[in-house]
Amino acid sequence: MTTTTATPGVRSPRRTRRRGWLPTVALLVISLFTVAPLLAVLVLALSPENAPTLPHAIPDSLTLDNITSIFAVGEFPLWLFNSFVYSAVSVVIILLTASMAAYALVRKRFPGRNALLWAIVATLMVPMQATLIPTFILVARIHGTNTLWGLIMPTLANAQAVFLIRQFIRDLPDELFDAARIDGAGEWRTFARIVLPLIRPVLATLAIFVFLWHWNDLLWPMIVGQTDHARTLTVGLATLHTETVSTAGIMSAAFVSFLPCLVIFIVLQRHIVAGITSSGVKG
Amino acid sequence: MLFVLPTLVIFGVFKFLPIAGAGAMSFTRYSLNGDFSWLGTDNYSRLFDDEHFWQSLGVTVSYVLLFVPLIIVVSLVGALLLNKVVRFSGTFRAVLFLPYLSSFVMAGIVWSWIFASDGPLNAALGGLGLGTVPFLSGDQLLVLASLALVAVWKGFGYSMLVFLAGLKAQPAEVHEAARLDGAGTWQAFRYVTLPLLKPVLFFVLVIETITGFQVFDTVYVMTGGGPNLASHSLIYFLYDEAFKFLDFGYASAVGMVLFAIVLVLSLVQRRLVEGKESK
Repeated sequence: MTTTTATPGVRSPRRTRRRGWLPTVALLVISLFTVAPLLAVLVLALSPENAPTLPHAIPDSLTLDNITSIFAVGEFPLWLFNSFVYSAVSVVIILLTASMAAYALVRKRFPGRNALLWAIVATLMVPMQATLIPTFILVARIHGTNTLWGLIMPTLANAQAVFLIRQFIRDLPDELFDAARIDGAGEWRTFARIVLPLIRPVLATLAIFVFLWHWNDLLWPMIVGQTDHARTLTVGLATLHTETVSTAGIMSAAFVSFLPCLVIFIVLQRHIVAGITSSGVKG
Repeated sequence: MLFVLPTLVIFGVFKFLPIAGAGAMSFTRYSLNGDFSWLGTDNYSRLFDDEHFWQSLGVTVSYVLLFVPLIIVVSLVGALLLNKVVRFSGTFRAVLFLPYLSSFVMAGIVWSWIFASDGPLNAALGGLGLGTVPFLSGDQLLVLASLALVAVWKGFGYSMLVFLAGLKAQPAEVHEAARLDGAGTWQAFRYVTLPLLKPVLFFVLVIETITGFQVFDTVYVMTGGGPNLASHSLIYFLYDEAFKFLDFGYASAVGMVLFAIVLVLSLVQRRLVEGKESK
């Protein structure tokens, strides 16, 4: 819609064209602001040891040595593994339980339905930090500290997921469910064969965001996993930063932590945009 | 009923129970082994007499006042530009969004390097003959502004996309009419675009204010609350009280203060959005 601006005679074409370049130049400047730090991470991670590098010089050769050697630092591979389990398992369980609940909340009538929905949505107003201590004590009491299940379990109560999927199911046409019933499909069949395939867009969006939130999470994993082997990569990264690890080492670790998010983004970009613009997803 | 059971159990144990627990614990002295004694409102009166609490709240409010206007301006400008530029707009959108994928920890690490006394920013300033700026070790305003800049870098891509969606939803005819009436770029923005964007603006304002009040990760990674508590934010205070001094009841009272702040902001937003939306 922005292409139909030039009204002949009002402005000279030359001036319109010159003005048209300004936003592009401004965008280039902001892009520099966003990309330069990321490029610095990449260059520092790939700079050979003891070679002159940023900010004083651009290295004349690049190497993967730092990245391979970061995998030999302490429990680094285990941190990576913990992060993957924490993020991936949470995604699967949250999506499954939230869609089941959302389906029941839309299609079934049972006592306390509205109260339950209201209670779940209301938890969105309680910041995670306010319930941090009781959650930690609860997990500690059931011997969940320094374990993966202790890390994962409390984060499975994701009100945002239930709410978004519910909105999506609510907009599916009634006829669909009537047809399924006439065909003799039971609840589970209807859910697995009709609901799940149809809500794939919202599931894809949520999957990305839940993964990002969990992968990048610091406070909760830091509190639950206090021993070296129980850390996630983000917590490990913060630890490496406070310990004396070389710039190349910390930037390599940072780069490794960023890579999965980058890959997900490149592959599933449109879902991210759709997710934010349609529903306001925020962790 | 079987469908809601998993969610019911998970929410019951790990959401509703901790929420009730948080409220209850703030009225007790609580130790990790489960021993507790009822204190009534003692934690709260102690909190309101604690100068470190007011210091942390002051730090957090100052941070919010720096962070929120900055992120709103950057994300709004980004969205307005993206809405104007046709060529490569998809690429630009992706590039501006990239930092959102990183963690606050990673953002903190990269920007610690950028802000370092021998880092690129100071090298550039030195090249201009401006001397060294102590971004993370100077006075409070400078340190908080530096932390806010990191959070803007990391987070503005999200709000930018929300703004962009709001801009794309505006009817083209209104803008056409404004142009025919002879409105310049600034006038069109001031009298047409901005009023139409008000609900979205308010949403972003509240969301980012809540984000600002929760600042912790960058503080933890970049300054450790320092120098001299200059960046000792509310959540940092809560974290210290709970996991350094193991004063769980007291820390819960801090959590309740944060909850109260977020609740008020959410309710204000809800009220204003419900007034405008039909759904």
